[in-house]
Amino acid sequence: MRKYFFVAVLLFSVMFTGISDAGELKIGSCIYTFNDAFMTRYRNAMADEAKKAGVELQIMDSQNSQSLQDEQVDELIEAGLNVLILNPVDRMEAGNLIEKAKAANIPVVFINRQPVAEVLSNYDRAFYVGSLAEESGRFSGEIIVDYFKAHPEADKDHNGKIEFIMLKGENGHQDMIARSKYSVEAIEKSGIFKPVELGSALANWDKFMAMTIMNAFIMSIGTDEIEAVIANNDEMALGAVEALKANDFNTGDPEKFIPVVGVDGNPAAIEAMKNHEIIGTVLQDAETCGSVAVKLAVALAQNKTPDKNITGYELIDGRYFWIPYKKKTEGE
Amino acid sequence: MSKNVSRSTFNNYFKISGLILLIAGIVLKYMSTLESFKGKTASWNINASIYDLPIFLAVIGIFLLLKGLMAKSEGEDIVFSGKNFGGFLTNNAILLAMFVLVVIICIKNPKFMQVKVALDILTQASPKLIMALGICFTLLIAGTDLSAGRMVGLAAVISASMLQTATYANRFFPDMPQVQVWLPIVLAIGACMLFGALNGFLVAKYDMHPFIATLATQVIIFGTCSLYFDMEPNSSQPIGGVRPDFKAIGQMKFLAEKSIKNFTMNWFADGKGFPGISILIPIAIIICVIIWFVLNKTVFGKNVYAIGGNREAAVVAGISVFKNIMGIFILASCLYGIAGVLEAARTAGANNDYGNGYELDAIAACVVGGVSLNGGVGRVRGIIMGVLIFAIIQYGLQFLHISPMWQQVIKGVIIAVAVAIDLTKYRRK
Repeated sequence: MRKYFFVAVLLFSVMFTGISDAGELKIGSCIYTFNDAFMTRYRNAMADEAKKAGVELQIMDSQNSQSLQDEQVDELIEAGLNVLILNPVDRMEAGNLIEKAKAANIPVVFINRQPVAEVLSNYDRAFYVGSLAEESGRFSGEIIVDYFKAHPEADKDHNGKIEFIMLKGENGHQDMIARSKYSVEAIEKSGIFKPVELGSALANWDKFMAMTIMNAFIMSIGTDEIEAVIANNDEMALGAVEALKANDFNTGDPEKFIPVVGVDGNPAAIEAMKNHEIIGTVLQDAETCGSVAVKLAVALAQNKTPDKNITGYELIDGRYFWIPYKKKTEGE
Repeated sequence: MSKNVSRSTFNNYFKISGLILLIAGIVLKYMSTLESFKGKTASWNINASIYDLPIFLAVIGIFLLLKGLMAKSEGEDIVFSGKNFGGFLTNNAILLAMFVLVVIICIKNPKFMQVKVALDILTQASPKLIMALGICFTLLIAGTDLSAGRMVGLAAVISASMLQTATYANRFFPDMPQVQVWLPIVLAIGACMLFGALNGFLVAKYDMHPFIATLATQVIIFGTCSLYFDMEPNSSQPIGGVRPDFKAIGQMKFLAEKSIKNFTMNWFADGKGFPGISILIPIAIIICVIIWFVLNKTVFGKNVYAIGGNREAAVVAGISVFKNIMGIFILASCLYGIAGVLEAARTAGANNDYGNGYELDAIAACVVGGVSLNGGVGRVRGIIMGVLIFAIIQYGLQFLHISPMWQQVIKGVIIAVAVAIDLTKYRRK
């Protein structure tokens, strides 16, 4: 037993000296959880960019615990890293993380979960790379509008109104609020159609839950009334599709089709789009986001001014780089 | 104030009320076919206010009629008294509450009274029932199983990952041949049973409390499942592109052929014919029968009750606690595995968060169905009722578009009230 312990200690010390002896520029990063499809694409993109730039990147899994993340950030600072890329577990607690970075005078790039503006402005070496959630909502509304323009028969009662079902994510989530609000607003702003909500429900980003809920909507409202389904993410959109399919809808018969739109652009959704089961999705560009975050971190560590020449995107309000979403529809 | 009634008269009450309902159903159905009631003015359409109510009335009527005809006519007199009535109320409080709720839902949205809604509720209840039947074994020995939900997720992820179409762009195993559909299913259920064995081993060998043992396993399973799910090239992307032959296991419908639909066109209020019976319903029924048989007709089943009722006595009687506890957890995990595979097939996909929290729903359903957390008490019939009560209430609340926060409050109240009533019952005895 004692022997194994000794070997373990030896291994650990080798690992740690390994970190402190390596290359000149080292980036430390914490991701809120490794257990998230989008953030996995994100951190893979970060790793690729770090390799390209020839810098060392250490990524830690905060396992959805803010207190664990606080400890990890302390460890990273202790280990003498030059710059941090942080994906807070709780965006409201980001102030604490900024204080730590400020005390050690290490620049910090926040990603994906946006700290409050006042908190970010406390430290002149803190930046944010992300996408505007309202844009994803707007795009999904626009996909619906474009579809209804191209397919006037989708407005079944020809009353110029789009009667839709909204499947929402986790209660209180920033993206859920923005996506729900701005998708409807985009339909309204089209000036052609009026959005009418037949029903909405929280499905927690979950496919099975969305399927169950959609089924209840189909039974209680009826497929004759429902003209569109707007989901806050792709998993819920695909859950709605399964419920529709169980009622002989969206299986290829153009007479029996209800347009469904999601957000994320995950592979299953792209496939469903090719099979004409959903009309489109909004892709959050994890690859570009990850690469911009690393480029920005490297520039900050080298005391360069972050601007468009480095990241390829405009610096907004001196703090923010907004990476646009992309619409994915059958046409594109 | 009490009145004695003989058994045969009591049975006649059933026959008469059954007959009344049956006749009422037939009359209503006949009325709904009459042109004069179809509401040419569109202001009042009988079909839009009663839907399939006549069919439900007739079915309940036939059920009561049969109950009256089949019941024994000999035996003690039935006593109608205030006390017995009170006992009846507490014994069936949850059922009565559900009945009231169903009536309210039907008034608020008459579309609830449709055969296809009833079938849909049964379909949704089926995988939950399979889980509850598994978890009831662990409750019967005064234990619990916190790993149940994560096992559902594990089975869903494993089976879906190996059963994707060849053309799907983002396959979990890009080079995997199209294997026989049963092979990954057996693997998925087998993986669950392995973890079930771990549960049983920890509980039986070290006498660990099942709460702790299954908590440890729960965390291990979720971690393992997440590692598997995060493997290249999948990297935690939701699994899709599931093969049609696998989907059929969860989505197939019986009696849904065009000819049957055309033949039954006018039978139901929506005019679309018989909606078909989901394959999940017969699967759940078969498993119910098997579990009923295991619990009531086998030595193993008797041992389960014996260990749950009085462990020391069971040991003295020469029952091998180790073997039986292993058996319990392995059998339970097998059922979770089946539920997980069905879930994946039904949703045509999976991710590692599937099944999260299901164990609590299953335990709640068991408890409402009269399974005692102190062990040794519980019947298959009660569990079926418990699952159905939750399924109907959840579906009904969703049907009325009640907010999910309120749904949770109501669910919690049901659990608390049901268990409180149950405990008063036992105390009285």
